[in-house]
Amino acid sequence: MSIIQLVNVTKKYDEITALDHLNLSIEDKEYVCVLGPTGAGKTTLLRIIAGLLEPDEGKIHIAGRLVNGLPPEERNAVYMFQQFALFPHMNVWQNVSFSPIIKNYHETRIKRLTLEILEMVKLADRQDAFPHELSGGMQQRVALARGIASGSRILLLDEPFGALDARLRVDLRAQLRKLAEDQELTTIHVTHDQEEALMIADRVVVIRKGKIEQIGTPHEIYTNPQSAFIMSFVGGANFIEGNVIRMDDSGSIIEIRGSQKVHVSDISRKVGEKVVIAIRLEDISIGMVEAPVSNNFSGMIESTMFIGSSIEYVIKLENGITVSSKKLISNAYKSESNETVIVSFLPEKCYVFEYPKIGLLKEIEAI
Amino acid sequence: MVPRLKRSISLSNLAKWATLCALILFVLLPTFYLISYVFTRWNEVNYEVFANPIIGDENWKQIQQVLLFSFRLSLFTVAFDLIFGIPLAYILARKKFRGKSLLEDIITLPLVIPTSGFGFATLITWTTATGIGGIFGLNSGLIPLDAVIPLLNVPFIVFIVHIALTFPYIVRTIATKFESIELTFEIASRTLGANPLTTFRKILFPLSISGIFSGSVLAFARSLGETGATLIVSGVSSTASIAIVRWTSEFKLATASFMGSLLVVIAWLIILPIEVYVNRGASLFSIPYRFPRALSNWIIKFEKFASRKLTHIKNFLPLFIVVITVIVPIVIVLNSVIFYWSADPYTGKVQGGVLYQLFGPSNYFNSVLKATLTSIIVALTSTFIAMCIAIPLSFIIKRWWYGGIIRSVLKVPLIIPTSSLGLSVLLLWGSNGFNLVKPGIWLIILTHIVFSVPVIVESIIAAYEGSDIQMYEDSARTLGATAYNAIEMVSLPLIKGGILTGFILSFTHSIGETGATFIVMGRDVTVPALVVNMVEALAIPAALFTSTYLIILSLILLAIIRLTTRR
Repeated sequence: MSIIQLVNVTKKYDEITALDHLNLSIEDKEYVCVLGPTGAGKTTLLRIIAGLLEPDEGKIHIAGRLVNGLPPEERNAVYMFQQFALFPHMNVWQNVSFSPIIKNYHETRIKRLTLEILEMVKLADRQDAFPHELSGGMQQRVALARGIASGSRILLLDEPFGALDARLRVDLRAQLRKLAEDQELTTIHVTHDQEEALMIADRVVVIRKGKIEQIGTPHEIYTNPQSAFIMSFVGGANFIEGNVIRMDDSGSIIEIRGSQKVHVSDISRKVGEKVVIAIRLEDISIGMVEAPVSNNFSGMIESTMFIGSSIEYVIKLENGITVSSKKLISNAYKSESNETVIVSFLPEKCYVFEYPKIGLLKEIEAI
Repeated sequence: MVPRLKRSISLSNLAKWATLCALILFVLLPTFYLISYVFTRWNEVNYEVFANPIIGDENWKQIQQVLLFSFRLSLFTVAFDLIFGIPLAYILARKKFRGKSLLEDIITLPLVIPTSGFGFATLITWTTATGIGGIFGLNSGLIPLDAVIPLLNVPFIVFIVHIALTFPYIVRTIATKFESIELTFEIASRTLGANPLTTFRKILFPLSISGIFSGSVLAFARSLGETGATLIVSGVSSTASIAIVRWTSEFKLATASFMGSLLVVIAWLIILPIEVYVNRGASLFSIPYRFPRALSNWIIKFEKFASRKLTHIKNFLPLFIVVITVIVPIVIVLNSVIFYWSADPYTGKVQGGVLYQLFGPSNYFNSVLKATLTSIIVALTSTFIAMCIAIPLSFIIKRWWYGGIIRSVLKVPLIIPTSSLGLSVLLLWGSNGFNLVKPGIWLIILTHIVFSVPVIVESIIAAYEGSDIQMYEDSARTLGATAYNAIEMVSLPLIKGGILTGFILSFTHSIGETGATFIVMGRDVTVPALVVNMVEALAIPAALFTSTYLIILSLILLAIIRLTTRR
């Protein structure tokens, strides 16, 4: 049964449409990441579910109940701010016991519950500390503990790692995931970090300009992107424009700049259609000789970039197209700048999309 | 579930409307009544001002003359303040040195000291032998009471008092603005090769132009409305505010209210465009302008020279002005009390001593005690009532779309000259309006509420905007707190500091207010008004004692402010 259901939700700020007739349902105990570039409407979506904003149109159901117009305190959905919003005038204990006290639980129950949760997030020994005395990671744990103590089954996280150091973010992902699972919470986690979303979520919802672009498991989103935008936003790719000139059961042939031809396995488009070919950086190989079954093009290495575990090459092909390739450092190609090389990629590694109406550059922009 | 929700909404609506009604009745209505009074009683105004059978339009001529004088005085005061206030503000905002907080306190003093006491101190300092004149061995004051500054054509002593009283507004507002601008811009400019003065002219000044305007508006309004100190030092010259007091006491209400309305309207005509301009956040320098190259080179050359050679003058002169206008009068008045303690030091008569006047037949000590009680009751009651309006009002301002309108309307009582304010309250509640309250302690309280509400609201809103209250409240709501719970448990504790500051500011203001109080007090004299009465009765030793008493009282208040706002 879906615990949260949004039907045709629309929200406008003056001219800008933050959410555009959005439909979404979220299952009980599911961990959903809402992924999108800045300004896509992610936070608006979260605030509307929490009841901090009212939609202009559409319905919101939580646990089968229509909650439009219901104040936040009656929705049983905890909203966690990026800055955590720990009450600065209360210590850890008072912050965590805020909800139990508000809800007028019995004294012994408040004590037991608060202590239990503090122990769970390993902060029982810091219960007298004030928020400003804690590190970012600890503050996040207090905020989570405070949310769990409220007894709400729904956790709404707005960029929960946004205020933390890059290293800490990665460490805390698994912890957060486990906590949500152990507590059987339904979690909606908003982020613009595709790596974070892929790693942590049961399901990823990619939104852009207030509309859902794709919903799927992290694996589906990565291996079967529905648009050039998703391909570019999640993982990144090389994009080459072209026209389909021939097609049969085994694949199609696409003509790109310089009248060169690319063989692809995809047969979903039509002959004569203008398309975009997308190839992941890691699917492009570089060598001195032509590779069998592959598309081969010769070009010149323009630059190389060292990124730790891998190396990224930028190669200018003879037809003027620039492509990037990424290789693990263990099987990297020893290269010199301005060296002439053969670039190759397999037909089945090519994704083919309809040429976007707004133009390719606009389509793959991260907004 | 749903009915409970509905009830809580209607309750909060009730509170909202009650607050708004109180705001309109207590704070806004008096000013509008004053202006409408002129229209409804136009016949009377016309008779008194323009077509008096005996003196003709003599009153109108006087009004014009007095207004012109007032505006000239205020403009010169602001100009002078700016010239010396901007460097001082820069020093306070950018430099670290020992005694900085002491300097800040000294600059703030004139805001805290009751103006009549301060005016009297200045008067003693400059125009009597006990003051600076005595130090130079003169038998009279250094400067006669009616000395006029050449060119500016304003009396020296009035000018000095106005500078001292408006200087804090300029310096503090501009210093706060300077502090809000990141140092990085200036560092960037310096590393790009600009000298300090050029950096100031091209970077800091354009960025802080709105703060400079706001400070000027405050100082201008303060100078225009200043009554307490001016009453004491004005001598034969009369500012518009003083004319209102005089005419009111002569029961020429029509003339006084006409003058009061003119003052309010003209002040608004000057201030409103500046307010709009500042609020739009536009910069004077968004208009592209360019000096001719030769001139600009010359300016930069001069600035380079001045940056190197004239810094000491820039640092020293503003401090000198603060010392002369603020510290010297206070020291001299304290010294004079000791001087006059048992007898007049020049004639040797006991009747001219502080002790005789306090405990002798005139028994001024008793008056001082009574006035103290009146002052404290007024300050406590008016601040309390103002708090009851201001706290919910601040929440309304932050939450509803019309909050911005309310906030700018609240500027009216801050900008209206105090004597006009007193007159407007007298007209509204007295026998010419509702006929509910006679001049006396209750009318004083009603008057003080008018300016206390905006003062408290501003400090609460400053605290509200300082911490992200909306986020904390939203957070509390999703954790299960009702709107009321969230305010009680989260917002109110978070803005506690702002409420406290507002309370103290309003209390201090109320204790020191003279101009408006003088008009509405009837027989319930407050301490600052008592000083004015004593000076008018030529009971100088008693006035010396009372001024000293006021100054010490306000120093204690300042210490309390310091202690509470430091945390």
